[in-house]
Amino acid sequence: MLASCTSTTVDEFRQGETGIESDESVVILGRRQASDFETKSDFVECVGDRMSQGENAISIIPEREFVDAMFPWFEPRTAPLRASDLEQLLAEDVVAQKMNEFGIRYMVWVEGFTETTGRTGSISCTVGPGGGGCFGFGTWEDDANFDARVWDVNSLRNVGTINTDATGQSYLPALVVPIPLIARVETNACNRLAAQLKDFVNGE
Amino acid sequence: MKIRFKNNPCYVRLSVFSIMLSLISSCGVSNLVIEGSFPTPNINKIPLSMAVYYDEALKEFSYMEYSETGREEINVESGESHINLFNAVLPAMFEEVIEIEGLDDPKVLEADAIFTPVIEEFQLALPGKTKLEVYEVWIKYNMRIVDSSGASLADWVVTSYGKTPTETFRSVEDGINEAAVVALRDLASSFSLNFTRIPEVQDWLNNL
Repeated sequence: MLASCTSTTVDEFRQGETGIESDESVVILGRRQASDFETKSDFVECVGDRMSQGENAISIIPEREFVDAMFPWFEPRTAPLRASDLEQLLAEDVVAQKMNEFGIRYMVWVEGFTETTGRTGSISCTVGPGGGGCFGFGTWEDDANFDARVWDVNSLRNVGTINTDATGQSYLPALVVPIPLIARVETNACNRLAAQLKDFVNGE
Repeated sequence: MKIRFKNNPCYVRLSVFSIMLSLISSCGVSNLVIEGSFPTPNINKIPLSMAVYYDEALKEFSYMEYSETGREEINVESGESHINLFNAVLPAMFEEVIEIEGLDDPKVLEADAIFTPVIEEFQLALPGKTKLEVYEVWIKYNMRIVDSSGASLADWVVTSYGKTPTETFRSVEDGINEAAVVALRDLASSFSLNFTRIPEVQDWLNNL
Protein backbone atom coordinates (compact mmCIF):
# COMPACT_ATOMS: atom_id res chain seq x y z
CA MET A 1 0.00 0.00 0.00
CA LEU A 2 1.32 3.45 -0.97
CA ALA A 3 0.73 6.63 1.02
CA SER A 4 -0.54 9.87 -0.47
CA CYS A 5 0.07 13.39 0.86
CA THR A 6 -1.29 14.68 4.14
CA SER A 7 -1.33 18.25 5.41
CA THR A 8 -1.15 18.68 9.21
CA THR A 9 -1.59 21.84 11.29
CA VAL A 10 -0.81 21.99 15.00
CA ASP A 11 -1.93 24.90 17.23
CA GLU A 12 -0.76 25.28 20.80
CA PHE A 13 -2.37 27.49 23.43
CA ARG A 14 -0.34 27.66 26.63
CA GLN A 15 -2.01 28.82 29.84
CA GLY A 16 0.62 27.88 32.42
CA GLU A 17 4.18 26.73 33.12
CA THR A 18 4.90 23.03 32.67
CA GLY A 19 7.68 20.58 33.49
CA ILE A 20 7.88 16.97 34.65
CA GLU A 21 10.18 15.02 36.97
CA SER A 22 11.50 11.56 36.14
CA ASP A 23 9.29 9.90 38.78
CA GLU A 24 6.12 11.58 37.50
CA SER A 25 3.85 10.30 34.78
CA VAL A 26 1.13 11.38 32.38
CA VAL A 27 -2.19 9.73 31.62
CA ILE A 28 -3.90 10.31 28.28
CA LEU A 29 -7.67 9.84 28.28
CA GLY A 30 -10.24 9.97 25.49
CA ARG A 31 -13.37 12.07 25.89
CA ARG A 32 -16.50 9.96 25.30
CA GLN A 33 -19.35 12.26 26.31
CA ALA A 34 -20.48 13.32 22.82
CA SER A 35 -23.66 11.66 21.60
CA ASP A 36 -22.75 11.13 17.94
CA PHE A 37 -19.07 10.18 18.11
CA GLU A 38 -16.43 9.13 20.55
CA THR A 39 -12.68 9.47 20.64
CA LYS A 40 -11.22 6.17 19.55
CA SER A 41 -9.09 4.36 22.10
CA ASP A 42 -6.67 3.37 19.31
CA PHE A 43 -5.84 7.03 18.73
CA VAL A 44 -5.36 7.68 22.45
CA GLU A 45 -3.10 4.63 22.66
CA CYS A 46 -1.14 5.81 19.61
CA VAL A 47 -0.45 9.23 21.19
CA GLY A 48 0.64 7.56 24.43
CA ASP A 49 2.96 5.15 22.63
CA ARG A 50 4.65 7.96 20.68
CA MET A 51 5.12 10.07 23.81
CA SER A 52 6.78 7.23 25.66
CA GLN A 53 9.38 6.72 22.91
CA GLY A 54 12.48 8.57 21.71
CA GLU A 55 14.28 11.54 23.19
CA ASN A 56 12.74 13.07 26.36
CA ALA A 57 10.37 10.09 26.59
CA ILE A 58 7.65 10.47 29.20
CA SER A 59 6.20 7.79 31.44
CA ILE A 60 2.66 7.19 30.18
CA ILE A 61 -0.01 5.30 32.12
CA PRO A 62 -2.16 3.28 29.67
CA GLU A 63 -5.74 4.57 29.50
CA ARG A 64 -7.44 1.22 30.17
CA GLU A 65 -5.21 0.46 33.16
CA PHE A 66 -5.88 3.90 34.65
CA VAL A 67 -9.65 3.90 34.06
CA ASP A 68 -10.01 0.38 35.51
CA ALA A 69 -7.88 1.22 38.54
CA MET A 70 -9.89 4.41 39.15
CA PHE A 71 -13.27 2.77 38.51
CA PRO A 72 -15.95 4.21 38.71
CA TRP A 73 -14.60 7.80 38.74
CA PHE A 74 -13.45 8.10 35.11
CA GLU A 75 -16.36 6.53 33.23
CA PRO A 76 -17.99 8.60 30.43
CA ARG A 77 -20.71 9.94 32.73
CA THR A 78 -18.61 10.39 35.87
CA ALA A 79 -15.29 11.73 34.54
CA PRO A 80 -14.45 15.33 35.48
CA LEU A 81 -15.30 17.80 32.71
CA ARG A 82 -13.25 20.75 34.01
CA ALA A 83 -9.86 20.94 35.67
CA SER A 84 -11.56 22.57 38.67
CA ASP A 85 -13.63 19.38 39.14
CA LEU A 86 -10.40 17.58 40.01
CA GLU A 87 -10.32 19.23 43.44
CA GLN A 88 -13.63 17.67 44.39
CA LEU A 89 -12.55 14.34 42.95
CA LEU A 90 -9.23 14.31 44.79
CA ALA A 91 -11.09 14.99 48.04
CA GLU A 92 -12.09 11.31 47.84
CA ASP A 93 -9.34 9.45 49.71
CA VAL A 94 -9.51 6.39 47.47
CA VAL A 95 -9.05 8.54 44.34
CA ALA A 96 -6.20 10.62 45.78
CA GLN A 97 -4.41 7.47 46.92
CA LYS A 98 -4.61 5.84 43.48
CA MET A 99 -3.44 9.03 41.76
CA ASN A 100 -0.42 9.14 44.08
CA GLU A 101 0.35 5.48 43.40
CA PHE A 102 0.41 6.19 39.66
CA GLY A 103 2.45 9.38 40.18
CA ILE A 104 0.20 11.31 37.81
CA ARG A 105 1.41 14.87 37.17
CA TYR A 106 -0.56 15.66 34.03
CA MET A 107 -3.89 14.43 32.77
CA VAL A 108 -4.39 14.90 29.02
CA TRP A 109 -7.94 14.78 27.63
CA VAL A 110 -8.06 14.00 23.91
CA GLU A 111 -11.25 14.65 21.98
CA GLY A 112 -11.88 14.37 18.27
CA PHE A 113 -12.53 12.12 15.33
CA THR A 114 -11.70 11.50 11.68
CA GLU A 115 -14.31 12.38 9.10
CA THR A 116 -14.41 11.05 5.56
CA THR A 117 -15.99 13.28 2.94
CA GLY A 118 -16.17 13.73 -0.84
CA ARG A 119 -16.32 10.09 -1.85
CA THR A 120 -16.44 9.95 -5.63
CA GLY A 121 -15.51 7.54 -8.39
CA SER A 122 -16.50 4.19 -9.74
CA ILE A 123 -14.81 0.81 -9.61
CA SER A 124 -15.99 -2.24 -11.49
CA CYS A 125 -14.75 -5.73 -10.62
CA THR A 126 -15.26 -8.89 -12.65
CA VAL A 127 -14.63 -12.49 -11.60
CA GLY A 128 -14.74 -15.32 -14.14
CA PRO A 129 -13.44 -18.86 -14.69
CA GLY A 130 -10.29 -17.46 -16.32
CA GLY A 131 -9.53 -14.99 -13.54
CA GLY A 132 -10.73 -11.60 -12.43
CA GLY A 133 -9.87 -7.95 -12.21
CA CYS A 134 -11.03 -4.46 -11.38
CA PHE A 135 -11.16 -1.26 -13.37
CA GLY A 136 -11.99 2.26 -12.30
CA PHE A 137 -11.02 5.02 -9.93
CA GLY A 138 -12.20 6.14 -6.49
CA THR A 139 -11.19 9.02 -4.28
CA TRP A 140 -12.15 10.50 -0.89
CA GLU A 141 -10.89 13.01 1.66
CA ASP A 142 -10.13 12.32 5.32
CA ASP A 143 -10.01 15.05 7.96
CA ALA A 144 -8.71 14.19 11.44
CA ASN A 145 -9.28 16.88 14.05
CA PHE A 146 -8.21 16.33 17.65
CA ASP A 147 -7.96 18.59 20.71
CA ALA A 148 -5.76 17.74 23.69
CA ARG A 149 -6.37 19.60 26.96
CA VAL A 150 -3.60 19.31 29.53
CA TRP A 151 -4.53 19.45 33.22
CA ASP A 152 -1.88 19.88 35.88
CA VAL A 153 -2.84 17.59 38.75
CA ASN A 154 -0.62 19.55 41.20
CA SER A 155 -2.14 22.98 40.54
CA LEU A 156 -5.58 21.60 39.50
CA ARG A 157 -5.51 23.91 36.46
CA ASN A 158 -5.82 23.59 32.72
CA VAL A 159 -2.30 24.52 31.57
CA GLY A 160 -2.85 24.38 27.83
CA THR A 161 -4.63 23.07 24.76
CA ILE A 162 -3.13 21.62 21.61
CA ASN A 163 -5.18 21.19 18.44
CA THR A 164 -4.14 19.00 15.52
CA ASP A 165 -5.87 19.04 12.19
CA ALA A 166 -4.70 16.67 9.45
CA THR A 167 -6.30 16.40 6.02
CA GLY A 168 -5.46 14.22 3.07
CA GLN A 169 -6.89 12.93 -0.17
CA SER A 170 -6.84 9.19 -0.78
CA TYR A 171 -6.99 7.60 -4.22
CA LEU A 172 -7.92 4.10 -5.34
CA PRO A 173 -7.05 3.54 -9.01
CA ALA A 174 -7.78 0.03 -10.26
CA LEU A 175 -6.25 -1.38 -13.41
CA VAL A 176 -6.79 -5.15 -13.00
CA VAL A 177 -5.46 -4.80 -9.45
CA PRO A 178 -6.62 -1.94 -7.15
CA ILE A 179 -3.67 0.21 -6.04
CA PRO A 180 -4.64 2.08 -2.86
CA LEU A 181 -2.89 5.43 -2.26
CA ILE A 182 -4.09 6.10 1.27
CA ALA A 183 -3.57 9.40 3.10
CA ARG A 184 -2.57 8.38 6.63
CA VAL A 185 -4.21 11.37 8.29
CA GLU A 186 -4.91 9.79 11.66
CA THR A 187 -1.37 8.43 11.98
CA ASN A 188 0.07 11.84 11.07
CA ALA A 189 -2.28 13.59 13.50
CA CYS A 190 -1.18 11.15 16.20
CA ASN A 191 2.55 11.65 15.50
CA ARG A 192 2.35 15.45 15.43
CA LEU A 193 0.09 15.70 18.47
CA ALA A 194 2.34 13.34 20.47
CA ALA A 195 5.49 15.28 19.53
CA GLN A 196 3.89 18.60 20.49
CA LEU A 197 2.48 17.20 23.73
CA LYS A 198 5.86 15.76 24.68
CA ASP A 199 7.53 19.15 24.24
CA PHE A 200 4.66 20.89 26.02
CA VAL A 201 4.77 18.64 29.07
CA ASN A 202 8.58 18.87 29.23
CA GLY A 203 8.18 22.66 29.33
CA GLU A 204 9.94 23.27 26.00
CA MET B 1 -19.83 -13.32 -12.14
CA LYS B 2 -19.67 -9.58 -12.52
CA ILE B 3 -19.86 -7.21 -9.60
CA ARG B 4 -20.28 -3.53 -10.39
CA PHE B 5 -19.82 -0.70 -7.89
CA LYS B 6 -21.28 2.55 -9.17
CA ASN B 7 -20.21 6.13 -8.42
CA ASN B 8 -19.06 5.54 -4.89
CA PRO B 9 -16.59 3.21 -3.13
CA CYS B 10 -19.24 2.93 -0.40
CA TYR B 11 -20.92 0.44 -2.68
CA VAL B 12 -18.02 -1.93 -1.98
CA ARG B 13 -18.89 -1.92 1.72
CA LEU B 14 -22.61 -1.99 0.98
CA SER B 15 -22.22 -5.04 -1.22
CA VAL B 16 -20.04 -6.84 1.33
CA PHE B 17 -22.66 -5.95 3.95
CA SER B 18 -25.44 -7.30 1.72
CA ILE B 19 -23.55 -10.55 1.14
CA MET B 20 -22.93 -10.92 4.88
CA LEU B 21 -26.57 -10.08 5.60
CA SER B 22 -27.75 -12.77 3.24
CA LEU B 23 -25.33 -15.22 4.86
CA ILE B 24 -26.70 -14.29 8.29
CA SER B 25 -30.28 -14.67 7.12
CA SER B 26 -29.48 -18.07 5.69
CA CYS B 27 -28.01 -19.08 9.05
CA GLY B 28 -30.98 -17.84 11.13
CA VAL B 29 -30.79 -15.84 14.34
CA SER B 30 -27.36 -14.77 15.53
CA ASN B 31 -26.87 -15.47 19.23
CA LEU B 32 -24.64 -13.19 21.28
CA VAL B 33 -23.66 -13.76 24.90
CA ILE B 34 -22.33 -10.53 26.43
CA GLU B 35 -18.86 -11.05 27.86
CA GLY B 36 -16.72 -8.61 29.75
CA SER B 37 -14.78 -8.09 32.93
CA PHE B 38 -15.76 -5.50 35.48
CA PRO B 39 -13.32 -3.87 37.87
CA THR B 40 -14.04 -3.52 41.57
CA PRO B 41 -15.17 0.03 42.37
CA ASN B 42 -12.87 2.22 44.49
CA ILE B 43 -15.45 3.55 46.92
CA ASN B 44 -15.97 3.64 50.67
CA LYS B 45 -17.94 0.68 52.01
CA ILE B 46 -21.26 1.15 53.74
CA PRO B 47 -21.24 -0.76 57.06
CA LEU B 48 -24.24 -2.93 56.19
CA SER B 49 -24.96 -6.56 55.52
CA MET B 50 -26.89 -6.72 52.24
CA ALA B 51 -28.61 -9.81 50.90
CA VAL B 52 -28.96 -9.92 47.12
CA TYR B 53 -31.53 -11.86 45.18
CA TYR B 54 -31.10 -12.42 41.45
CA ASP B 55 -34.37 -13.73 40.09
CA GLU B 56 -34.60 -16.06 37.09
CA ALA B 57 -35.69 -13.20 34.81
CA LEU B 58 -32.39 -11.41 35.51
CA LYS B 59 -30.22 -14.52 35.38
CA GLU B 60 -31.62 -15.50 32.01
CA PHE B 61 -32.25 -12.06 30.58
CA SER B 62 -32.07 -11.85 26.80
CA TYR B 63 -33.14 -9.32 24.22
CA MET B 64 -34.16 -10.04 20.64
CA GLU B 65 -33.32 -7.46 17.98
CA TYR B 66 -35.61 -7.59 14.96
CA SER B 67 -34.82 -6.52 11.41
CA GLU B 68 -36.86 -3.78 9.73
CA THR B 69 -38.97 -6.51 8.13
CA GLY B 70 -39.76 -8.01 11.54
CA ARG B 71 -37.44 -11.00 11.22
CA GLU B 72 -35.56 -12.15 14.34
CA GLU B 73 -32.00 -10.92 13.83
CA ILE B 74 -29.78 -11.00 16.94
CA ASN B 75 -30.48 -12.53 20.34
CA VAL B 76 -28.46 -10.71 23.02
CA GLU B 77 -28.00 -12.68 26.24
CA SER B 78 -26.80 -10.47 29.08
CA GLY B 79 -28.09 -12.22 32.23
CA GLU B 80 -24.77 -13.76 33.23
CA SER B 81 -22.83 -10.54 32.65
CA HIS B 82 -25.30 -8.68 34.89
CA ILE B 83 -24.70 -11.20 37.68
CA ASN B 84 -20.91 -10.87 37.21
CA LEU B 85 -21.24 -7.09 37.37
CA PHE B 86 -23.28 -7.05 40.58
CA ASN B 87 -20.95 -9.63 42.11
CA ALA B 88 -18.04 -7.24 41.43
CA VAL B 89 -19.83 -4.07 42.58
CA LEU B 90 -21.80 -5.09 45.68
CA PRO B 91 -18.88 -6.43 47.79
CA ALA B 92 -17.14 -3.07 47.21
CA MET B 93 -20.24 -1.16 48.35
CA PHE B 94 -21.25 -3.12 51.45
CA GLU B 95 -19.38 -4.61 54.39
CA GLU B 96 -21.06 -7.97 53.80
CA VAL B 97 -22.98 -9.37 50.82
CA ILE B 98 -25.07 -12.55 51.05
CA GLU B 99 -26.51 -14.10 47.90
CA ILE B 100 -29.89 -15.68 48.57
CA GLU B 101 -31.92 -18.19 46.56
CA GLY B 102 -35.29 -16.58 47.28
CA LEU B 103 -36.97 -13.96 49.43
CA ASP B 104 -37.90 -16.73 51.91
CA ASP B 105 -34.26 -17.91 52.22
CA PRO B 106 -33.42 -18.17 55.99
CA LYS B 107 -30.15 -16.31 55.30
CA VAL B 108 -32.13 -13.04 54.92
CA LEU B 109 -32.35 -12.88 58.72
CA GLU B 110 -28.57 -12.32 58.82
CA ALA B 111 -28.86 -9.27 56.55
CA ASP B 112 -29.92 -5.66 57.14
CA ALA B 113 -31.87 -5.60 53.89
CA ILE B 114 -32.48 -7.44 50.62
CA PHE B 115 -31.51 -5.94 47.28
CA THR B 116 -33.27 -7.09 44.10
CA PRO B 117 -32.23 -5.68 40.71
CA VAL B 118 -34.74 -6.00 37.86
CA ILE B 119 -34.20 -5.19 34.18
CA GLU B 120 -37.24 -3.30 32.89
CA GLU B 121 -36.12 -2.41 29.39
CA PHE B 122 -33.26 -3.08 26.99
CA GLN B 123 -32.73 -1.18 23.75
CA LEU B 124 -30.19 -1.54 21.00
CA ALA B 125 -29.27 0.89 18.20
CA LEU B 126 -27.23 -0.43 15.31
CA PRO B 127 -25.28 1.77 12.84
CA GLY B 128 -27.09 0.15 9.91
CA LYS B 129 -30.39 1.51 11.23
CA THR B 130 -29.43 4.81 12.89
CA LYS B 131 -26.88 5.83 10.21
CA LEU B 132 -24.58 6.90 13.06
CA GLU B 133 -21.15 5.35 13.30
CA VAL B 134 -21.76 3.99 16.79
CA TYR B 135 -23.36 0.95 18.41
CA GLU B 136 -25.58 1.97 21.34
CA VAL B 137 -27.16 0.11 24.23
CA TRP B 138 -29.69 1.48 26.76
CA ILE B 139 -30.81 -0.49 29.79
CA LYS B 140 -33.46 0.57 32.31
CA TYR B 141 -33.43 -1.07 35.75
CA ASN B 142 -35.69 -1.09 38.74
CA MET B 143 -33.67 -1.36 41.95
CA ARG B 144 -35.57 -2.58 44.98
CA ILE B 145 -34.57 -2.82 48.63
CA VAL B 146 -36.84 -4.56 51.11
CA ASP B 147 -36.39 -5.56 54.74
CA SER B 148 -36.41 -9.17 55.96
CA SER B 149 -40.21 -9.07 56.30
CA GLY B 150 -40.59 -7.98 52.68
CA ALA B 151 -41.58 -4.36 53.40
CA SER B 152 -40.27 -1.90 50.81
CA LEU B 153 -37.43 0.36 51.95
CA ALA B 154 -36.47 1.87 48.61
CA ASP B 155 -37.52 1.47 45.00
CA TRP B 156 -35.92 3.51 42.23
CA VAL B 157 -35.06 3.49 38.54
CA VAL B 158 -31.54 3.53 37.10
CA THR B 159 -30.80 3.90 33.40
CA SER B 160 -27.48 3.04 31.83
CA TYR B 161 -26.08 3.82 28.42
CA GLY B 162 -23.13 2.56 26.45
CA LYS B 163 -21.80 3.21 22.99
CA THR B 164 -18.84 2.15 20.94
CA PRO B 165 -17.68 3.37 17.51
CA THR B 166 -17.79 1.29 14.38
CA GLU B 167 -14.37 0.07 13.29
CA THR B 168 -13.04 -1.65 10.23
CA PHE B 169 -13.07 -5.43 10.68
CA ARG B 170 -15.23 -5.18 13.85
CA SER B 171 -18.22 -7.48 13.61
CA VAL B 172 -21.74 -6.40 14.58
CA GLU B 173 -21.60 -8.84 17.51
CA ASP B 174 -18.33 -7.35 18.78
CA GLY B 175 -19.78 -3.85 18.46
CA ILE B 176 -22.89 -4.76 20.46
CA ASN B 177 -20.78 -6.58 23.07
CA GLU B 178 -18.50 -3.54 23.54
CA ALA B 179 -21.46 -1.14 23.82
CA ALA B 180 -23.19 -3.46 26.33
CA VAL B 181 -20.05 -3.69 28.47
CA VAL B 182 -19.82 0.13 28.49
CA ALA B 183 -23.51 0.28 29.51
CA LEU B 184 -22.90 -2.22 32.32
CA ARG B 185 -19.93 -0.18 33.56
CA ASP B 186 -22.17 2.89 33.41
CA LEU B 187 -24.70 1.08 35.56
CA ALA B 188 -22.00 0.12 38.06
CA SER B 189 -20.70 3.68 38.27
CA SER B 190 -24.06 5.41 38.67
CA PHE B 191 -25.40 2.75 41.05
CA SER B 192 -22.35 2.73 43.31
CA LEU B 193 -21.82 6.51 43.36
CA ASN B 194 -25.47 7.53 43.66
CA PHE B 195 -26.73 4.84 46.03
CA THR B 196 -26.55 6.96 49.18
CA ARG B 197 -28.05 9.97 47.33
CA ILE B 198 -31.39 8.21 46.68
CA PRO B 199 -33.85 9.96 49.06
CA GLU B 200 -35.50 6.69 50.17
CA VAL B 201 -32.11 5.09 50.79
CA GLN B 202 -31.01 8.17 52.75
CA ASP B 203 -34.15 7.96 54.92
CA TRP B 204 -33.56 4.27 55.52
CA LEU B 205 -29.86 4.74 56.40
CA ASN B 206 -30.70 7.63 58.74
CA ASN B 207 -33.19 5.45 60.61
CA LEU B 208 -30.84 2.54 61.14
